[in-house]
Formats: sequence, structure tokens, C-alpha cells
Amino acid sequence: MDSHALILIVLLSLIVNGNNCQRTKDKMFSSIVGSSCFKRLNATHETGCTSSYGGSVGVLHYIKTPDDFEFVLKDPPSPPYAVMVTPQLFTREYLIRLKDSPHISTIVLIKSVNETLAQFSQELKCPNQFSGIDSNSCDIDKPETIWNPYGTGLLHENFPFPIYYVSEEAEIAKLVDCFDKFNSFDVANQHNRPLCSIQVNSFMSAAVNSEVCLRRTNYANNLSATRFCDPLQSRNIFATLFPRETVSQEDRKVQKDEKLVLVTARIDTTSMFDGIGAGAMDSLIPFATIVSTAHLLAKLLPEREASNNSNVLFVLFNGESYDFIGSQRFVYDINKGYFPSKIQATNQISFENIVMMIDIGLLDDLHRFTVFHVEEFKAATDLVKLLETYSQKFAFNISTTSKVTQNLPPTSAQSFLRENRTFPAMVLSSNPLNRFYHSIFDDQDNIKFKYFNTTQDFTVAAAINNTMGFPADSIQMAIRNASTVLAAALYEKVTEHTYRGNQGSNLILIDELLYCFLISSDCPLFRAAGPKNMPARPEAPPPPRYVSVQGLYTHETARWTFRIFGFLIGQTVPIEEQNCTVLPMFWFPGFNGTGSCHYTTQNFSQAYSPAFVEENYDWKSGKYSTWTESTWRELNARIFLKPSSTHEAKTLAVGFVVMIVSFVLVFLFNSKSDILFGDCVSSENTLTNPAHC
Amino acid sequence: MDLSRAPNDRKLYLCKWYFRAGFIFLPFVWAVNTIWFFKEAFRQPEYDEQKEIRKYVIYSAIGSVVWAVAIVAWVLTFQLNRADWGEFADSISFIIPLGRA
Repeated sequence: MDSHALILIVLLSLIVNGNNCQRTKDKMFSSIVGSSCFKRLNATHETGCTSSYGGSVGVLHYIKTPDDFEFVLKDPPSPPYAVMVTPQLFTREYLIRLKDSPHISTIVLIKSVNETLAQFSQELKCPNQFSGIDSNSCDIDKPETIWNPYGTGLLHENFPFPIYYVSEEAEIAKLVDCFDKFNSFDVANQHNRPLCSIQVNSFMSAAVNSEVCLRRTNYANNLSATRFCDPLQSRNIFATLFPRETVSQEDRKVQKDEKLVLVTARIDTTSMFDGIGAGAMDSLIPFATIVSTAHLLAKLLPEREASNNSNVLFVLFNGESYDFIGSQRFVYDINKGYFPSKIQATNQISFENIVMMIDIGLLDDLHRFTVFHVEEFKAATDLVKLLETYSQKFAFNISTTSKVTQNLPPTSAQSFLRENRTFPAMVLSSNPLNRFYHSIFDDQDNIKFKYFNTTQDFTVAAAINNTMGFPADSIQMAIRNASTVLAAALYEKVTEHTYRGNQGSNLILIDELLYCFLISSDCPLFRAAGPKNMPARPEAPPPPRYVSVQGLYTHETARWTFRIFGFLIGQTVPIEEQNCTVLPMFWFPGFNGTGSCHYTTQNFSQAYSPAFVEENYDWKSGKYSTWTESTWRELNARIFLKPSSTHEAKTLAVGFVVMIVSFVLVFLFNSKSDILFGDCVSSENTLTNPAHC
Repeated sequence: MDLSRAPNDRKLYLCKWYFRAGFIFLPFVWAVNTIWFFKEAFRQPEYDEQKEIRKYVIYSAIGSVVWAVAIVAWVLTFQLNRADWGEFADSISFIIPLGRA
């Protein structure tokens, strides 16, 4: 009776205390919010990071000065170690040493707020070197030829351990406090006491290269299909200034007399860490420039002035950071007669239709442009002249020079020129000045962006002399000037007469566009171009601009850009909302929410490398981009106290002793069972002779 | 089943059929046969069918050892060379390990 009461009391106390109880797991571990480096593969290599299968564990060691590296690299007392570094010390020199060390299991990169960062770029010094027209033209030994002078190339290294980036102050404080409390003192004897350790889980499924991991993914040998890696892919977005003729799907053909000026830029960026990397300077400035140029042109030329005016085709290529996925596919599609795709009911476009291509490359310096081209041709010299003329006319401080070279910037034009060296392509670019190219710190601070939040109409063209309160040295003003000059030059190309107006790109549009892609996607421009009655999403992060893989939640940027192009380039037509439902007619909520119907010209095209489309593609040929991204199950990290090795050994020894004692006891009980439990027969005989017992 | 209580002709019948079944690529049946009838073949007082049973047990033992050697040799060869064999190794794998060559 007493024992029953005792059990009842224990059970009751468990139920009563149940709500206050923490699970043992939660008492032991404290999770750390951050972002992880992951694995990407191409036809020959794997790059990035992976943890071990169950997560990599290491004793935290905070590297405050370069000397601290020596402690963990030279026979430390309690390996393996998880080194905690600030961006200042996250350099190639140290990372390669850590990579080759047997004592390192993890790197934790923590953001440092008080120190200034001179440079931080994990991209190569010659980005996309082997998918351009001439891989020898960019030579890391000749500083004047390289396109990312601050590049460390760490993005293309293969690390056998995870690298975890922690940016939130509270999380960094957790790590530093834990280190200070348990690890920082008496380091030489630290193996004799419990130490603060971190476990990072970022195990990557893929290995070897894209060919192997895709082959393994495609095998149907077992019942549960395993995905090892997915091709990097998204969509290019294009739009024409004037609507193109609609034809039935059967009557599609190349119209020889159709003339197009191709104006392009890239939409994507990348970084070493999952989900972080705004690419503000490396790709958002060109992106904002092309959008505001297209918008201004659409305002200046609502329709063709003369029937023989050329059209302008604006294209934003996706996946350009990874060997020009989007533009390679675009060229491939044009060659095969697949562009625009069949369902779009417009004529095919061939290379003969493209009179020239203006590719917007790096715009790190918005005051000094160079027009790069491979051969001397009239359109290029004309463009330089036009840009110079309009810059002087509007009194913008922009100088433009021309340069004939094989060493083109790493941009989309390379894909076109690789196909045909005489293609009339030119790259409008500045010299590389970006200290944070393709990194997590290429953000609003890198371009000194300050949001003005004017709440004024951004859909109209504005007078050039109206500064709307924006300072002359603001990034908005610099982009406005560049895009206005470019739009005026394009205006003259299209209409074949001088632009005499005083309208320029809208500063507010540029302000809003940068805000949407740098600060929050809950922004006036997205509300104006988005679906009707879009719910407010305060604190919504900007859409990620990494090309990513096919998935339910990917390609957000492509979808927004598609809408922005429709909203800003499509001309408004006086049609009621209920009749504005069939493409190319599309209804947008508009700046003030009253809504309007637009005759849209924008559409998608595939940014999916032809390497994955062509049958029997030769992976070693280097013809197309072959980048894939490994799959993973989880990316997370947690800290805990790891007992000292003597403590661990003691626990194990006690366990062994208990096990051996229990064996002996069971043996004794068994052999003396007749004495202990009375002389009842053993179980063997119970079945045969039940009556005896 | 308790062999000790089965009649001798029944033991021989079972042993013979276990031996025959092993030929359809069932080495484990040979192994079972060897262990199960080992006592009957070598440890029991002599009886008429014992000679026959002993023969089948020895043959089963040889068969299962040959199989075991073959399987161990193959597993070793395959595991050591899987990464080098590339596509062929993947195509004959049922489960491909994650995150390694």
C-alpha cells in the first residue's frame, strides 16, 4: 500500500511541475542563430563547406589577434577546436592554414561592429574566368587586368569543416560570454576542466562534382529517391520598350526587318553564406540603372515615332555569378529558335535582329565609365560620343571613354561574344572599386544608401533640375544621372534624332527600388507592382538575389522583377479592371492604390544551363556552366559545455564497471536460482511437464 | 523444432532437403544446416542414417565457407574500389553514401 502511495506522489509531482520543467536537451544546449556556408559543385570541383554527418564539434577559441592562430595550430591542449574569428582575420592566408590543420573542426565568423573592415571578398580575382572569351586576358599577376582586386577566392575553396556566420549581437554575446567564462583563462591547462564547445550541423549530401552527384540523383536503384544536388537555375526577365507583334504559335518566324537594341544587366549576386548577401554594389546598382533607364524611356517614348524605329529589348540575366547561366541559355535559345518561348505568341528573335548590345557591367564608380568592346565598330564609338554629349548637356559629372580589349569585365556580353566574336556587343562598365564584391558586406552601407522615404509618386518622369531634396553626392543621384544619360543615348539610337527634353529618371523610383532590395520587401514599389490587396509584412527581408535552385520558395527576385518591368515599362491603357485580365493586359494596384491597366511586354526566359539540357553533354568541355548546389537536411549550431577528457574517460570507465558487475550478478542469480527462488523447475521443462510445478 | 525428439529418418530427410535447398543461392540454409545437424552428425551415438547426415553436414559446411569467402572477398573489393569504379559502382549500388566520393 505504501509503495503505491509513493508512486502516486511521484507521478503527481511530475504532472504539477511538468510546465516548469525544461527538457534535459534544452538545459544542456543553447542554439546559436546564424548562417552557414554550403557546398556547390561544377564539372570538375566541389567548393564550400560541410560538417561531419552528425555535426562538427569543437572547443570554442576566440581569435583576437593573429598570434592566437598559433595557439590552435601548434599542438593545442584540447583539440579539435572551433575558432571564432572576426571578418578582419578571415583572410586567405589564415583560412588556408586552418583548412590544412588537423586540429580545427569549425570556423565561426562573427560580425564585429566597432572595427572598420578594409576589404572582404571571397570571389576570385578573375570572376568567371573560364567562361569568358579569353581566359588568359585576366591574369592575377597583372593587377591592371583583374576585375576583383580584393578577391580572396575562398568561395572556390573546398573546406572539410563548416563555416558559420553569426551576425546578431545577442548571439555573438552568448558565444563570447561562454568563451570568457569557461575557456579564456589558463589555456595551457584547459583540457582539465569543462570547456565551452560548439556543434555545427551542416552536412552536405553531394560530393565529387556535378556530373557524379546528378548521376547519383537520377539513379532509381532504390525505393526512396535521394537528391544529392540540384542545378543552379532561375529565370531571366526581359521586356521590350514597344510591344512586339502577336502572332499565332504556328506562324512564328524570324522577322528579318525587326531591329532590336539589346540592353542588359544581371539580376543575381552571391556570397559565401546561405541567405545573406545583398550585392548592393556588385549588381544592384546596374540593376537599378537598367530599371530606371527602361522606365524613363517608356515615359519618353510611349509609342514609336516612326515605323522603322528599332525596338529596345531589356534583359536581366540570372545566374550570371556562376559562369553566366542566364546569358548562356539566352544565346543557346536564340540559336535554336526557342526565344521567346513558343507560348508567348510573338515572333522568334535571331541574332540578325539585334543591331547592338549594351551590357551594363560593374558600376562601382558612377562618374567614370568605359565602353569595352572586342573590335572597333561604329555603334560603340557612337555610344561613347552620345554618353559624353548628354552628360555635358545635362551638366552631369560623367566621363566616358572607349577601350578595345580582349579583357572584358566579367559580364553577360562574354556569352554572346564567345558564340560570335564579331557580335556588336559593348560593355558599359567602370573600373573595379568594390571592396566587398560577392560578399555578405556588400550591403546598403557599402553604397552609402540612405532611404529618403519621400512617399511621393515614383511612376512619373521628373525634371532633370529637380533634385527632390536628394543631395548631389547621394547614390540615388549618381544612379539617376547615369540612367538618364543612358536613356537619352538610347532615345537617340531609337528615334535617330537628338533628345531635347528636360525629363530625367525619377530619383524617388531609384530610392524605392534600392529600399525594396536592400532593406525590406514590404515597400511602396512592391505594393504598387504587386498583387492586389497584398497584406502588410512589416520586417519582411528583401528578396534574396542569389540564383538558387528550383523550389517552392525560390526565385522571389525574378517574380518581383517581372512585376516591376510590367508596371514600369508597360503603358497604361484605359481599360476597366474586370476587362484587364488577359495578357498582355495586366492590372497593377499602382502608386496610390487606385490601380491601372497596363499593356505589358515583359516575360520570363529560362536561366537553366544548357549543360543540363543537352543530351550526352561533355562535362569536361567547359562549354556551359555546370554549377549545382548540394542538398542538406539542416543548417544550425548550438553551444554546450563539453566535460574534460578525464571526466569523459571516468564516465566511460564507470559504465564499463557497472556493466561487468551486472553480468556477474546475473550469472550468480542464474546459477543459484534454485536456492534463491525455491526448487521450481526451469523453464525448459515447464512446457513438457507443467503438472510438476 | 526439437531435433532430439524427431525420428532418425525424419532427421535425414530434413538434412537432405536443407542441403538441396542451399543450391538455389541460399548459402545461409547451408550454414543453418551445418550448425543445426552438427550434434546429430558428430556427437550422437551411431545410428543408421548418421553417415548420410554427416555427409550432408560436411558438404553444407564446405558450401557455406566457400560462399562466405566469396562474399567477404567481393565486399572488400567493392568497398575499396567503389570510388574508383565511378559510374559502374553507382549503378550497382542500392544505397549510395551521402557526402563522399
